[in-house]
Amino acid sequence: MAEVCIQCGAELNAPPALCHSCGAIQPFRAELSLFGVVGLPESYDLNLQELRSQVLQLQKILHPDRFARADATTRRFSLEWSTRLNEALAVLRDPLKRADYLLQRQEIDALGEQVKVADPSLLMTQMMYRERLEDVLAARDQNGLDQLRGEVEDASSKAVNKLHILLKKLPCEQVDEAGSVLRELQFLDKLLGEIDRGEESLQNL
Amino acid sequence: MALMQIAEPGMTADPHQRRLAVGIDLGTTHSLVASVLSALPTVMRNHDGQYLLPSVVRYCEDDKVVVGYPAQAAAGQDPHNTIASVKRFMGRGHEDVQLLAGHLPYDLVPAEGMIRLRTRAGEKSPVEVSAEILKVLKDLAVETLGSEPEGAVITVPAYFDEAQRQATKDAARLAGLNVLRLLAEPTAAAVAYGLDKKSEGLFAIYDLGGGTFDISILRLQAGVFEVLATAGDTALGGDDMDHAIAEWLMAESGIHLDDPLWRRQVLQQARQAKEALTDQEQVELTLDSGQGAPRVIQLTRKQLETLIQPVLQRTLPACRRALRDAGLKVADVDGVVLVGGATRVPALRRLVSEFFQQPVLTDIDPDQVVALGAAIQADALVGNQREDLLLMDVLPLSLGLETMGGLVEKIIPRNTPIPAAKAQEFTTFKDGQTAMSIHVLQGERDLVQDCRSLARFSLRGIPPMVAGAARIRVTFQVDADGLLTVSAEETSTGVRSEVLVKPSFGLNDEEIARMLQDSFAHGAEDIAHRRLSEARVEGERVREALQGALSTDAALLQADEKAQLDAASEHLEQCLAGSDADAISKAAEAVEAAAEPLVQRRMDSALRRAIAGRSIDDLGE
Repeated sequence: MAEVCIQCGAELNAPPALCHSCGAIQPFRAELSLFGVVGLPESYDLNLQELRSQVLQLQKILHPDRFARADATTRRFSLEWSTRLNEALAVLRDPLKRADYLLQRQEIDALGEQVKVADPSLLMTQMMYRERLEDVLAARDQNGLDQLRGEVEDASSKAVNKLHILLKKLPCEQVDEAGSVLRELQFLDKLLGEIDRGEESLQNL
Repeated sequence: MALMQIAEPGMTADPHQRRLAVGIDLGTTHSLVASVLSALPTVMRNHDGQYLLPSVVRYCEDDKVVVGYPAQAAAGQDPHNTIASVKRFMGRGHEDVQLLAGHLPYDLVPAEGMIRLRTRAGEKSPVEVSAEILKVLKDLAVETLGSEPEGAVITVPAYFDEAQRQATKDAARLAGLNVLRLLAEPTAAAVAYGLDKKSEGLFAIYDLGGGTFDISILRLQAGVFEVLATAGDTALGGDDMDHAIAEWLMAESGIHLDDPLWRRQVLQQARQAKEALTDQEQVELTLDSGQGAPRVIQLTRKQLETLIQPVLQRTLPACRRALRDAGLKVADVDGVVLVGGATRVPALRRLVSEFFQQPVLTDIDPDQVVALGAAIQADALVGNQREDLLLMDVLPLSLGLETMGGLVEKIIPRNTPIPAAKAQEFTTFKDGQTAMSIHVLQGERDLVQDCRSLARFSLRGIPPMVAGAARIRVTFQVDADGLLTVSAEETSTGVRSEVLVKPSFGLNDEEIARMLQDSFAHGAEDIAHRRLSEARVEGERVREALQGALSTDAALLQADEKAQLDAASEHLEQCLAGSDADAISKAAEAVEAAAEPLVQRRMDSALRRAIAGRSIDDLGE
């Protein structure tokens, strides 16, 4: 069933927030995926420049500031679309969140609390990295910290590459493997955050 | 005869077609109004040619209200009825301002919600006092524009929380202004620079006012301003430089006099010396306490710079944090904008320029830049040109909910672009629980007591279910002005509850600064606290569950099993009274192990009850 514009009745194209014939803002549709809202095909391989400019283009038209003098219903549509666009940009621009979102679309909660991580080699790596971080911070060793950051960033981009392969075809068929890479990436992300905070504490002392 | 106006192509100069709007910088010490006139953002001047209106309001004996310089001049002789720096009271409760109150001569009235000030014109809320300032600015605008402005953009510090934003909006409404948008001050400054220069890229906005410091990182691309991160210290400003200089002057003069008037006089001289040393290499000050001979003291720019260096250095950690939050390095920053009178100090310009490894932008008067940016945005919002401009703000402080054990579950982290919405599911803690209290908090720390309480409301009518079965979905919606609506719904039954969070008071400046700094300083302590709280919650859950089971099914246990379970349960009680997280967790595990037979038999008997009276056919399906 084709969706039609509430104002002029024309058929709606993607992205569906605005009518391409008359420009009217459409009622918000909560069922649309984040990709659908932005008007991009569902895929892990995403051009970040294109994503950003697409979202900003849409925000320029749909943001509540554009409807500061409109009626309450129109303002609500604008608020809902604009909110969802912000969410789309935040989730889709991030390799970890984007992969997690794609798996969630298949009803797989890889990062949920119920998931027991039983990958001993990941646990060992985690412990090793954390000990090293503690050591370099205790020694106030900026070079050691930079080196550690470099290694973690490398490991991170390797994990993202693996995700690109695993999520090339959607829906993903190797969900267990994708989930385990996702958890690894989540750990590396957190560790980078700790490295940053550690560096800040070194600089501020 | 009026001068002829020449319009740029594509722009209309016809005042009947062009919509008029103003930008207002409602500041702690000064306020000002600007508008886009003939395509140029311009500050509005009064008959005396002044554009800075001191943010001082005096309630006079003849029922008149005086605002600005005349009010400021009367502050000394009529302190109770002359209100300065009212911005610090906006959206604040009585407890919030206790710290400030000691330094200020006002007669504060403890009231429900926002603080009130007792004057001869009656009790005034900060909203009413601010409205007096806005009325003067509005009148100036009407006079300059020749008609009522259609709307106004009012700037607020990036760190203003819900309550403070709401209070600002209320004050504008009270002054008869139609608020198009509240805009973060640094964003406004970036607008003024970004558009004037048609530049694109990443900007750092370094805003050092009289009493607050803000640093914001913004990205400008294709006409969209995006706030990537904000940080700051709301108890740091140009006043701290003046105090540092004044302390030195007093020590140097050898006059030890504990007299507020004398202190104020020295402070005044310190400020003048600081300003003079922007252009001069050296100043000579005469300190006269009225007791003994006046002292003459020389102050060089070098000495001044040494004195204020600690204040300047204190701005750098926030700069690093904002960069980190934005995921950027110093080298990524394309421009640094200075805002606030205190940024005229040469040593500051040098330091900021060294930190960001580039010359700083100072072309626009740092006192005007915020109002000019607000005027540009107001012009865009009423539908004039510049359709290309869009400002996207972020949430200044994290929003969260209280969960069991006095912990805060962050729902929307700070620096999330707004508008934003987030939903989170919670569940019931006790069997048959029919109501749930929802406590909304703002701040960065893990514990409820360390965050600002924004609102409490109850979701009632939850159908009685076993603990953990209800699904309560709480949705936060933050609009483009940073104002919050919270709604809660029990998803299996559709029971709903909704509030527009309009808190009666907000955070005080020191509190915000402390909360942000503390969230880092106390990271480890919070983790320990969190573990203990979580262990307690878990321990209490086990205890509750056990009591529930024993109250109906104690008979299912054999005597030795019962004794063992009682012992484990008693040990858990003891541990819960203490503060050892590990001990509590172990004790809770021991109770669960000892309760194993009971759980098993309860399940068996429940199963038997469930299938009793049903035929084999029913079970087969």
